[in-house]
Amino acid sequence: MNATIGSVECRSLLADGSLLTVSATRRPRAGRAEVKCTAPGDGRLAERMQEVVRLARHTETRFDSRDQVVIGIDHAPAAGERDWELAVVLADRMVRGVWHGHGPVLANGWSDAWHLGRVDGHAVEVRALPDALLGGPGGLAHLGQLSGHPDPAAAVSTARAWFPLHAGGAADSLCWVEVGVYPLGGDAEDEECAIAVPGQDAARQLAVRQALAGARHFDGRTGKGGRWRTTVRFGEPAFQGRSFELALVLADRIARGREFLPRGRLIASGQSAAWHAGRVDTVEHLAPKCALLLREAAPGDRILLPQAWQAQLPAGFADGVRALGASLACVERIGII
Amino acid sequence: MLGLFKRTTPVADACELGRTAVALPVRSGCTVPPAFPVVIVDARGATRRAGAAASKHVELRDGELAYAFHPGPYTVDLLPFAGAPEIGLRTGFAIDAADPHASHQRFDLYLASEAGGRLGLDALAAAMEGALQRELADGGLELPPCATIDEWNAFRLGLNQLLYMRFGVSVDDCVPVDLAGTHDYAAMLAARALAVQAKAPAASPAPATAAAPAADAPALADARALRRLFLELPCLMCGLRLAALPACPELFHRQQALLQRLDLLSVGAGAMPTLALTAPGQALDASEQLRRVRHSRRATVSLDEAWALLARLKGVSPALLAPLYDECERIVANLEADCDGRRRASAEVAA
Repeated sequence: MNATIGSVECRSLLADGSLLTVSATRRPRAGRAEVKCTAPGDGRLAERMQEVVRLARHTETRFDSRDQVVIGIDHAPAAGERDWELAVVLADRMVRGVWHGHGPVLANGWSDAWHLGRVDGHAVEVRALPDALLGGPGGLAHLGQLSGHPDPAAAVSTARAWFPLHAGGAADSLCWVEVGVYPLGGDAEDEECAIAVPGQDAARQLAVRQALAGARHFDGRTGKGGRWRTTVRFGEPAFQGRSFELALVLADRIARGREFLPRGRLIASGQSAAWHAGRVDTVEHLAPKCALLLREAAPGDRILLPQAWQAQLPAGFADGVRALGASLACVERIGII
Repeated sequence: MLGLFKRTTPVADACELGRTAVALPVRSGCTVPPAFPVVIVDARGATRRAGAAASKHVELRDGELAYAFHPGPYTVDLLPFAGAPEIGLRTGFAIDAADPHASHQRFDLYLASEAGGRLGLDALAAAMEGALQRELADGGLELPPCATIDEWNAFRLGLNQLLYMRFGVSVDDCVPVDLAGTHDYAAMLAARALAVQAKAPAASPAPATAAAPAADAPALADARALRRLFLELPCLMCGLRLAALPACPELFHRQQALLQRLDLLSVGAGAMPTLALTAPGQALDASEQLRRVRHSRRATVSLDEAWALLARLKGVSPALLAPLYDECERIVANLEADCDGRRRASAEVAA
């Protein structure tokens, strides 16, 4: 019998500074339990691992009873330590193709409510490794956030969208922009003044405010004062240009519950001189951004580019994106059709 | 308690038919106006339409149930994504007259297996919304942000197929609408924040009162799920035979294997052990009963997925057939696992 279909690894940093490796494999189930966990010398730890995985699977819609996932860790963490939980959950998702991590994944986080997809926090400081996924507020607070979706149980609606950053070729990367909205209690404040962009300079703050105010005007709900207090965060502290605007505007629409949701991430590049009309204008660096998108796109992702790019897209780009399971559209304006 | 005021069936308000109710149960001896088709469900769950006389006098035999339904048209607002409450789809649909070519009418089957009494428009709309949200989350339908006109048309086609296959209704109109007037997301989030604050201090007194009326709810849910399995599995097999015409010998063998497994499942669904007994005269633990109910409920989820898959199989090009067969095998495997779990008296499985 061909025992192994696939195998992945996911790491987690322990309190004593050592790296824990979680490895997951998938094999035909053959009448066994859907998840099997092994931990060296500790039956109770294996039980907790299985419980965590089963609870976290409650947030998924698709269930496949044909596979058994076997998850093992290479050495046991100290008693009471729970930061490995997120790594186990992510390994279980990666081996079944539910989530696609890029490169080696280092994750630290624990939760008391995995069945709601919530990640409550992390204990270990991971400063040396900038790509680490850290659970809890400020990092990964909810499993749906991996693809930018708002938490269906939180009072703050937070959505992420990604945009390609061109930095001379080799250092090109996808950067996220996160919009969190919270209902304004009274009717006193102006919505535009209640947009905060911590950690960015005045020019960027102004650009963000103008784009959001314009795009919200496009909704056609004027008057009635402000509805939302808004916080905008960026994955990279410093970058040039305005091509983040389309991603920002769409993340804002998703956070406010006014846009269809993509299955995976939303990746967009575009700016506008007239957000109040919903128009999307062209941006620069077509070729390197398309090459980056082909490298980064994962199944379920939605890629939005300006209409002006439609005729100039590299040959085979659209087919390549579709073959990866993502969908592509060149849009002239935001909103429904 | 002399039973003086007991009625055998609650009196239905016929005026709500076509407005808030889609179908109402009809008692034997009633006369139904000719505009409303009548579906009769017999004791074994088979359905037939009452004859097309000028006005129908309903005469029922033992164990039979009759429903009169209004063919519509109805208009409902469906939310395609639970996370986006301010954008909806205004959907107009109707229930067509009986198709003379079909051996069974899907809407009649829906009434027989899931309605269980009055079928309100809100209940039907909620079921339709659930099916739509599930299919969008699974990727069977695509409705991405900034959908182009081609993507919208493909979505509409898929939606029509889905709702026809699952509920037997035909969609004649569907447009995106801004629901900000009725669904205020800001107010919902504020209510959520209040609920989170209120739950933290006092969480204990609530469950005691809530548990009392729900005591026989699991048994009822289990009975309904088994009824669905018993009635719908044969129709699913029939649909699979017609919809998924195999394109090559390999697919033909896979289809035969699937049909055989479904056949076994449907025989098994007709012979499920009683929920509360392990063996004749031996009661089963409450926790094991709940496990059985969980399995039967999950089996109905697989049934929903199977109907959605049949909708996708309609008119698919032969090149795309293989992944859909794989999906079909997944659903059948899930059904087998859950039916097996429902039958077993204890949870133990080898690691």
